[in-house]
Amino acid sequence: MSQPQTRTDAISHRSGDGVAPPRRPDDDASGFAISTDDLSVYYGGFQAVRRVTLGFAPHEITALIGPSGCGKSTMLRALNRMNDLIPSARVEGRVTFRGRNIYEAGVDPVQVRRNIGMVFQKPNPFPKSIYENVAWGARINGFKGSRLEMDDLVQQALTQAALWDEVKDKLSDSGYSLSGGQQQRLCIARAVAPSPDVLLMDEPCSALDPIATLRIEELMLALKEEYTIIIVTHNMQQAARVSDRTAFFSVDVNDEGGRTGRLVEFDDTDRIFTQPGNEETEQYITGRFG
Amino acid sequence: MSNTRSHFHQDLEDLERTMLDIAERAERMVGMAVKALTGKDLDLAQQVVREDQTLDAAYLDAHSRWINLMARQQPMGSDLRLMSALLHLNVTLERTGDQCVNIAKVARLCEPLPASQRMSDQVIEMGDLVRPMIRTAAHSFVRRDADEARLLPAMDEPVDRINRNMYREVVACASDEGLLEWATHVMMASRALERIGDQAVDIGEQVVYLITGEFEAFNEDAFSGRDETP
Repeated sequence: MSQPQTRTDAISHRSGDGVAPPRRPDDDASGFAISTDDLSVYYGGFQAVRRVTLGFAPHEITALIGPSGCGKSTMLRALNRMNDLIPSARVEGRVTFRGRNIYEAGVDPVQVRRNIGMVFQKPNPFPKSIYENVAWGARINGFKGSRLEMDDLVQQALTQAALWDEVKDKLSDSGYSLSGGQQQRLCIARAVAPSPDVLLMDEPCSALDPIATLRIEELMLALKEEYTIIIVTHNMQQAARVSDRTAFFSVDVNDEGGRTGRLVEFDDTDRIFTQPGNEETEQYITGRFG
Repeated sequence: MSNTRSHFHQDLEDLERTMLDIAERAERMVGMAVKALTGKDLDLAQQVVREDQTLDAAYLDAHSRWINLMARQQPMGSDLRLMSALLHLNVTLERTGDQCVNIAKVARLCEPLPASQRMSDQVIEMGDLVRPMIRTAAHSFVRRDADEARLLPAMDEPVDRINRNMYREVVACASDEGLLEWATHVMMASRALERIGDQAVDIGEQVVYLITGEFEAFNEDAFSGRDETP
């Protein structure tokens, strides 16, 4: 069985049409928007994810796929220290963002989550107005502008989330008044309001109907112009449709039934779904395992 | 309702446009190949070979894009039928290019030999008949026009007829050994042009399938006497 590729392999590997996305001044010197180096995640003494080294290229969508329990959501949450909220969780290895390990002493996890936003599986608007749902995101991140400036910011975020036209005449209505798909786009607007670099999406469409799902996918393709997107999805076809690169995770089960996720293969999505390099990936995408 | 798959549909449109470019190139190659043969122009014959290399590269690129779209986008309904048609078109047009190369090879063999004006004229006529067939096939595809596609078998008939009669022309050249050799080679070019006509008809069948979802065999009387060509 081949080993997961190194970061160098991953970035040098078949970069699509060869046109590099525009670099931001704050991109990591490695060329990645965010990267992991030998990252393991533990819950207590139990290793949930084993030694993952992955680089996420800026302005690309990377999908993390794999069977249940393969650690892909744990991995995603480790990328913005969301696992800190679980008392027994700890990490080994590094997550490098803007040249710095986000787990290093002195790094403020709230600031990390401002720069690396997250959209969850179930739309979770606050019990507030549509306007306030978006404004909140900016406010808790220290936005001190005038009401007019806040109006602009709310409009901009809702426009980016492809929701503005549908809600511009009812901004004071409750976020709960929206459909599931609209609520999820509201949550995306809230996540982009603080202008993060990276958007993490944890199965963002699993609670949505197929049309709402396709709309979110279209939205992701538009949002990657501005952000680096990393999505966990159970839906392999969704990964195929939207992502530029795909990381396939699998799971090892120990004698006590403990499940440890590991990265099997990382490559261009075209490649993963037409000619994967690893037999385990082939078995998974063809439905022979998983 | 807004288009929830605009990126996929854009890729599909791009692939269709590529296929039309390939069709245009193939049609141009037919003209060049016939001219190379009948005008004894070896440079032009060489140019046909180069054009085919470009066509082959476009074919491979289109095929790779097709595979990726199929694997990643799960096309449905008319999108699925379009994908099916595009795969057929790609293979068919690549073969049209190969037939043009066959004619260019015949041109090379024929260049030093004496030629029959009468047979040359017939080859020119066949070229003049099959080029509009490729244009009609591509046009009916772009316009999604089944009626236009159904014109193709009738356009193909004179091509088949000339090809069927070609052996008589060869026999007429039998008294001159050089001329006979030339005529025997040209018969292969005639056969290649006849195949190119059939390939345009095949594309027409794909157009009807794309529009109606039903496969309609245009040449179902092929075994009942209309076309005796093997």
